Amino acid sequence: MQAVCGSHDGEAAADRHVAVEYSTDGEWAAHLVPFVRAGFDKGEQVQYFADATDPRLVMRTLADRGIDADTAVRRGQLVVTTADETYLSGARFDPDAMIVLWGRAVEAALGQGYPNLRVIGEMSWGARHMTGAERLLEYELRIHHEVFEQLPLTAWCFYDRRLLAPDALDVLTGAHLTRAGAAPRSHARPGLSVVPLAGGPGFRLSGSAGYESRRVAASASAAVAASPAQDITLDLSSLDHLDVAALAHIADAARRRPSGTPLRFVGAPPALRRLLELFPELAPGLQEVGR
Amino acid sequence: MTTYTPTSAGRIDPFFGHPALFYTTEKDYLQGVGEFVRAEATGGRPVLVAVPGPRLQLLREAVGAEDEDVTFVDMRQAGRNPGRILSMLQEFADRHRDRHPSIVGEPIWPGRTEAEAWEATRHEALINLAFNGRPVTILCPYDTALPERVLAEAYRTHPVVGDLNGYRHSPRYEDPLTVCRDCDTPLEEPTDPLVLHFTEQDLADVRDTAGQWARTAGLSPGRHTDWLLAVNEATGNSVRHGGGQGILRLWRTADTLIAEVRDRGRLSDALVGRRRPDPLSPAGGRGVWMMHQLCDLVEMRTPPSGLIVRMHVALD
Repeated sequence: MQAVCGSHDGEAAADRHVAVEYSTDGEWAAHLVPFVRAGFDKGEQVQYFADATDPRLVMRTLADRGIDADTAVRRGQLVVTTADETYLSGARFDPDAMIVLWGRAVEAALGQGYPNLRVIGEMSWGARHMTGAERLLEYELRIHHEVFEQLPLTAWCFYDRRLLAPDALDVLTGAHLTRAGAAPRSHARPGLSVVPLAGGPGFRLSGSAGYESRRVAASASAAVAASPAQDITLDLSSLDHLDVAALAHIADAARRRPSGTPLRFVGAPPALRRLLELFPELAPGLQEVGR
Repeated sequence: MTTYTPTSAGRIDPFFGHPALFYTTEKDYLQGVGEFVRAEATGGRPVLVAVPGPRLQLLREAVGAEDEDVTFVDMRQAGRNPGRILSMLQEFADRHRDRHPSIVGEPIWPGRTEAEAWEATRHEALINLAFNGRPVTILCPYDTALPERVLAEAYRTHPVVGDLNGYRHSPRYEDPLTVCRDCDTPLEEPTDPLVLHFTEQDLADVRDTAGQWARTAGLSPGRHTDWLLAVNEATGNSVRHGGGQGILRLWRTADTLIAEVRDRGRLSDALVGRRRPDPLSPAGGRGVWMMHQLCDLVEMRTPPSGLIVRMHVALD
């Protein structure tokens, strides 16, 4: 896959995939309205995928703030719908299928003459017990390179602090290179966080990986395994510790990569080297660079 | 009483042989152990010689270090923690399973602490479980200068015992699990340990605290990694298998840092952690094996309240 859209309309992919946090309806509206208005000003198509919010409230809020939402809907420039009626209408949430859908959605918008697709998605469904919801972090990690660096797309992922547990919220919003409305962390637990690399395919792991963060490590590994990039890098220079389960996930992902090329890693913590001494069979598929 | 010559030490059981050889002098050692190694190698059997450094040198010179079928390992390093020796022996036996391998394993030497000697005795008992029915011979030399208690336990852990005058069935040989229970000696209570109660959500904080504590206590950077990995596995096991929570206590002696984890877990298999696990298998067994590899001593106890794992890392 060629990166065709690392910088669309002057905006890098990192600035076009944004996590937006809010905890009041007022904050929600304050993010929503300027985003939609900016899209209309640029002649872009705007789509809103609601989850907890009634689509009628979206329309009313835009209208109340001086945006002619009804006309925009009539001419097809604005689509306000729900996740359940669209991308969550299947049996499960599937990141692979979603990535295909993004390609089609952008293609359709471009086909209608819009220069760019601009989207808001409410992500509160990630806290519900639905099949595939556990793959949301993998999805957020993958789309930076697999979608935003390839397509003329701007998307704000709306995370309502009232609907997601603080730990889950931190991990999910932390998977975006740009965050808006993020409150200072109420807790300073040294957990594990993962974010895409801005400079090329790959991810940066930070903090400390243990049993408590196994799902984060598994999601990062799944993103590594699925990446179509020829070369992919794990930056571990901010990782204080990792356990054997996390390393096993990473090693397994490295072997499953479609390109068959080694997974490069930089800045390995001492624990990784010690684990490879104990379990050298985990080393194939991993390549340390820049040591 | 049936007697056997030293060179037939391993041939009493058609499959698995596990004799103890009591020796007093270097001459005894060379005659009893050296001849055994030479005879096994001459017979085309791969031999692992895992004995303390000075004895290793003696055997190297006597047997010849150039024989590629003989592998020499310093037991003071490889077996510093007695709990990791069995894994090494099983790996060697697995590697040479078609050639009836032979092993010399000397897990106890003068200078071992009492706690180490008990764990080494447990290891000797577990050998009988792990290798039961397998085509392997394991000769265990015992220095008669060792404490009387240690020598007495050798009679309970070896089906066959002997000296230069020959081998005989041990009249005091005991069921391995009974010996293991007897090795569960009371653990000395520490004075003023750091106590951390934890559940899953505290694991990262616990690692952080245990790491800082060990650094402040003067643990070297290399061993600090071992410490952190071991504490991580033990506390993670409490959450996974020990009722979802546990208590970590940290303290130091003159030359050692000790981390102890208590939880409501049970030990279902006396051999857990004594065989090298597949790191890619989440089925379990990785944690205890790693603790044994990373620590200088691991003591496990199973009181009615659950499981106690006490891990020692030296400050050297």
